[in-house]
Amino acid sequence: MMLGAFEDSELEPNEMQEVAFHLARCESCTGILADYSTLGRNLRSIAPEPMLAGFSSAVVARVDRLPQPVTARIARFIRRQADAVGSGVAWGGAVAAVAVATLVLITPYAEQFANRGTHSTASIARAEHGAVPAANQLATADEPTMADNDSHADISRLESENH
Amino acid sequence: MRTPGRQDGDEAELIERSRKGDSEAFGVLVERYQRRVVGVAMAVVHDQDDAIELAQETFIRAYENLSKFESRSSFSTWLYRIAANLAIDFWRREGRHVVLHGEDADAEISKLPTSQGDAFKEVSRSELSARLKQALEELTPEHRAVILLREVEGMSYDEISDVLQCPRGTVMSRLHYARTHLRSILKDVAGS
Repeated sequence: MMLGAFEDSELEPNEMQEVAFHLARCESCTGILADYSTLGRNLRSIAPEPMLAGFSSAVVARVDRLPQPVTARIARFIRRQADAVGSGVAWGGAVAAVAVATLVLITPYAEQFANRGTHSTASIARAEHGAVPAANQLATADEPTMADNDSHADISRLESENH
Repeated sequence: MRTPGRQDGDEAELIERSRKGDSEAFGVLVERYQRRVVGVAMAVVHDQDDAIELAQETFIRAYENLSKFESRSSFSTWLYRIAANLAIDFWRREGRHVVLHGEDADAEISKLPTSQGDAFKEVSRSELSARLKQALEELTPEHRAVILLREVEGMSYDEISDVLQCPRGTVMSRLHYARTHLRSILKDVAGS
């Protein structure tokens, strides 16, 4: 085992030295070492160079077909858009997509909220109207008021009595 | 080969992007390690087509399990381990070769000549190639892997130990057995 490890330079420095001294005076071990060295060269010479054309693209294609989490798919979509049309436009698109998604998701709640808001405003208006009728009169000075209508009715009644 | 347990920033970033589903970043890692991964698979199964299939499977498994990869070992060693495990499983499943085990192997070693110099000088190139390929087929996948990872892929004993997940001493003894066996076969060819 020491000879193989010596051939591979995998011994400690003192062991390397020890084996080297031994080899200097042992023809048998020198022969074995030479065989190991030749064996290594032969093994390298018969090892085929693998045909790797298209290998990585085949792997990536398989990876793309794997089911992926939604977040990963969105991230990949944005990345590809960025590559295709530039990052500014892609991020603009991404922001727009998020805005649309937000709008779609929030609209029903927004409507509910708005309706609740209208009811509240009407209640407040009703309360104000009842409490401060004078304010209403001031606000609608150009329009006939209840008081005006009553006056007109009285005048009409008097005129008909006179006739 | 990159040092086990260390990753440069570029590689760490590629791994992180791959984890988030960036297949193009993963493609860069594939380009970087494909030859060596095929080499590891080849060392075990000794068939190029099978090795390429296994290498593809290795990268797919790696991609699917990136979340489990911890940076304690290097990414390359992790990949080579997956490749070696897949290849050994494949070989066991598909195995149809004559292999020397245990006592047979020891007996084989004891019959070997212990001297002589360059035993292969007289053997013709094609005959040598054919006999060497056959001799490799006769080894167990573990023995074949060790000698091919050392001689063809140029891995150190520690790297082989990491990839095959066995002690360094086992690497040394398997290497010794494989060398002795191959040398004996080739001596036979030279003597005939």
